[in-house]
Amino acid sequence: MNERPANSGDDWLEAALQADGQAHRAEYLDDAGFTAKVMAALPAPVALPAWRRPALTLLWALLGLSIAFALPGFVVDVVRDVLRVVLGQSVSLAGIGAAVIAMVVAAWAAAAFVLRDD
Amino acid sequence: MAEPSLSDAELIARVVVGDDRHAFSELVRRHQSAVRTTLRRLTSGNHALADDLAQETFMLAYRNLASFRQEAKFSTWLYRIATNAWLADARKRKEELLGDRDADIADDDSAEHGDDADGGADAERSASLSMDMARAMAVLSDAERAAIIQCYHNDLSHEEAAQVLNCPVGTLKTHILRAKQKLKTRLAAWARD
Repeated sequence: MNERPANSGDDWLEAALQADGQAHRAEYLDDAGFTAKVMAALPAPVALPAWRRPALTLLWALLGLSIAFALPGFVVDVVRDVLRVVLGQSVSLAGIGAAVIAMVVAAWAAAAFVLRDD
Repeated sequence: MAEPSLSDAELIARVVVGDDRHAFSELVRRHQSAVRTTLRRLTSGNHALADDLAQETFMLAYRNLASFRQEAKFSTWLYRIATNAWLADARKRKEELLGDRDADIADDDSAEHGDDADGGADAERSASLSMDMARAMAVLSDAERAAIIQCYHNDLSHEEAAQVLNCPVGTLKTHILRAKQKLKTRLAAWARD
């Protein structure tokens, strides 16, 4: 205990409590299957079905295709506008390099996230 | 896979973010002894009950881990859950426990005086004091026993112990003072030795 009592008349009791506390802290209980018992009693993890990832990929692909078919000129317009904005700026070689590096880092981080060890 | 070298905070983050069961089992393995020994003291040596309450403690910790703000040590938070679990259980068993305990203490008292008269080696004396202390602790109220255990056995400061017991520091000090008065009366024979 951090605080010590000022009452010296209780020294023997204080010493006895300190000794008892020390003995308590020194005592180590072997696990003896306790952790396994706790883990077995935990609620089952929410298992996502195996088809979830391919199904999501397929849905995203369908969504992309739907947008492309529904708005045929949309993608071309977006690319044209982006190029116009980019080419309108004075882009240095260092700027292009920084953008490439940023894209590589973003791709690497996304890959690391997807392939992380669960 | 949870590595043993990871800190409690890192393991907790893994459990909260990714429901990492390995990380949680490492936390249980690390703290099971302290929680179980504390509960054994609180339950006056009822090992089966202590282990049941310890299991309940870790289950509650798992469910509420996201709410753990890391303002206190993880062990202090566990002591708080364990103490609350014990108090809730003790309230349920109050009448039955009091009856049994009084009978046990009365039986034990007749045996302990014989041991004192014999005296003996230091180890014997220490073991005898430990047993007497355990018996004396059993006469304390739940709050008094919990206060003594958190401050002396778990080595918490008054502030930490008050947090564990969810009471003001002043109340905790009152519990300790009253507990010491009872222990002093109960262990009076040791004061003269």
